[in-house]
Amino acid sequence: MSERYWLGMDMGSISANLALIGEGGEMRFDLYRRVDGDPLRAARAALAEARTALPTDAIVAGAGATGSARHLIGVAIGADTIKNEISAHACAAVRLHPDVRTVFEIGGQDSKATMIRDGVVVDFAMNLVCAAGTGSFLDAQAKRLALSIEDLSAQAMRSVSPTPIAGRCTVFAESDMIHKQQVGHRQEDIVMGLCLAMARNFLNNVCAGKEIAPPILLQGGVSANLGIRRAFEELLGQPVIVPRHAMVMGAYGAALLARAANPAPTRFRGFDVCEHHLHTRTFSCDDCANRCEIVEILDGDSVVGRSGGRCGKWEGRQAGSER
Amino acid sequence: MTALAMQPWGNYAVALAASVECLRVSPWTRRATTPETLRLGVEASPESACLPFKACTGHFIKAAMEGVEYGVMVNSRGTCRLRYYREAHQKILDERGWKLRIFGLGYDGIKPPLIRHFDPDPIPFLQCCARAQQKTLAVDALEREVWRVRAIEANRGDATRAMEACLADLDRARTVREIRACARTFAPRFAAVPTDSRRVPLRVGLVGEATLLRDRFLNHNLEEQLGGLGVEVSNFFLLGDEMRNIFRIGFFSRNSRWTLRRIARPYLDALVGGHALESVAHTLRCAREGFDGIVHVAPIGCMPEVSVRPILQRIARDTGMPTLELSFDEHTSSVGLTTRLEAFTDVLRQRRERRA
Repeated sequence: MSERYWLGMDMGSISANLALIGEGGEMRFDLYRRVDGDPLRAARAALAEARTALPTDAIVAGAGATGSARHLIGVAIGADTIKNEISAHACAAVRLHPDVRTVFEIGGQDSKATMIRDGVVVDFAMNLVCAAGTGSFLDAQAKRLALSIEDLSAQAMRSVSPTPIAGRCTVFAESDMIHKQQVGHRQEDIVMGLCLAMARNFLNNVCAGKEIAPPILLQGGVSANLGIRRAFEELLGQPVIVPRHAMVMGAYGAALLARAANPAPTRFRGFDVCEHHLHTRTFSCDDCANRCEIVEILDGDSVVGRSGGRCGKWEGRQAGSER
Repeated sequence: MTALAMQPWGNYAVALAASVECLRVSPWTRRATTPETLRLGVEASPESACLPFKACTGHFIKAAMEGVEYGVMVNSRGTCRLRYYREAHQKILDERGWKLRIFGLGYDGIKPPLIRHFDPDPIPFLQCCARAQQKTLAVDALEREVWRVRAIEANRGDATRAMEACLADLDRARTVREIRACARTFAPRFAAVPTDSRRVPLRVGLVGEATLLRDRFLNHNLEEQLGGLGVEVSNFFLLGDEMRNIFRIGFFSRNSRWTLRRIARPYLDALVGGHALESVAHTLRCAREGFDGIVHVAPIGCMPEVSVRPILQRIARDTGMPTLELSFDEHTSSVGLTTRLEAFTDVLRQRRERRA
């Protein structure tokens, strides 16, 4: 009998992640790639890559979508479950570390802290109006130093006496960093200083007033940077675990949630969607003064779904339903 | 006819419109801020002013653009910056050359300035007040129906559509008798909305700053979003209760200021302005009455509401009832908000399942 798989896709602001899990919930295939501004294209590319990695007679028994573009992607690929990334990350974290009590999930533009007790989410916090405690902060600083994330990570680990950097705001961090360079601080110390600034920012802003209990998991795109883990460990004075599949935990969680929902039959439209002409068009809904822009997701000429709008009445409406 | 602009107060716009008829002016109001009025307001207001301030500025500018001569706004006493807002709005309008005069609803003598200016005859005035009061109570009742039905409606949007139909009828009702008759049709109309009886709604209280609680545009359709997630909300800003408190009626009633002060006392024993004390009291009472959670909304930089946030966190810790804090300004993204609301309802549902 051919093997059954469950697919999870996490479409964030910076990265598109995909996970395929097997019957027992174990990870069979995962990939992490940049979105580069076009979620639909990124989704198609990810599906194309996943298709080549699977045996030809594999069956996808369910699909889940998460991430900030979950509605768009969920409609486009035909997801059975569309779940927010906080729940998806928590689900994956509990699966890998059943005793986890705190999850730090730091992505491109969002950073979140999730408190878990006895395998259940009891509280969460999310960055508000500022991206200073997120991956974009490090991305911006790494570009200024002309370093790749891998170099950044390696350099941060070498630092012996990190340079204090004002990290409240990316703009001021840059002026402070330039100043420190000019005074003659070593680059590795500056890089570690940045990691510390970011971690401090996260702890002060996102986790303010929340109880951070061990074991602590660090996941999301930023977890690839060992300097961040080191910074959290220094600031909290306790070990921080970067779990296996830390980069694609959202997608893993989405796949687990799809498996738990056990859809019969699945709405997944198949890997061949990667060859379809997926595109969008918008129109404005005139039902109220909000005049929301509604996005229609089309496959060729047929509407496969709609999203956008504040009242939620357009979400996930299938083709053929009246406007 | 002379026109009078009133702030957008959600569904209460219908009641407010009825309240000014006796002044021989035509009411100019909106149910919610619009993208256009907000843009006008953001342009004209100081950057650091709060969201309701900007929305209100924009609303009055839009009114002035359409030739409205007068405006009226709540201009509370107490320790909130709102007491200066009338002057600030007026100054902005004057500086930009708009000829719109804003009346505050404050006390500076026996008659409020608005009444002094238009000087209505006493009997029509009282009749008009009675009609406005009846409409306010009718909207209160309508809101309660919508919250209940929206969480269990079989087809998304049915409850909102029923509400719109009721409001349109209520707007047409002229006499106290008609208004009461109209209000009696609400319950049967909502009973006719097809519901999904298998769904067990979560109960969540909405507390916080009044403008945000009422303005569907500013709060990104918070009530509809929560309703769609299967949550029966209780929005604790009801104008009927507010009126009673303003006119000091019903000292011992459930939501009287006196009752709420008594409830809040163990955590907050001072007035901190706005509706912050009410937020604390309602949160405590919700915990006692077994609500699943609380959503606290505040504009970024709202002094009263921000100052009670640590208290709300403390209540959440002491009672174990989860609280979600939402802050809004003109840059707030709907995506982040939806993510928070979805995750919050997940937390509440899991919590309920575990306790069962």
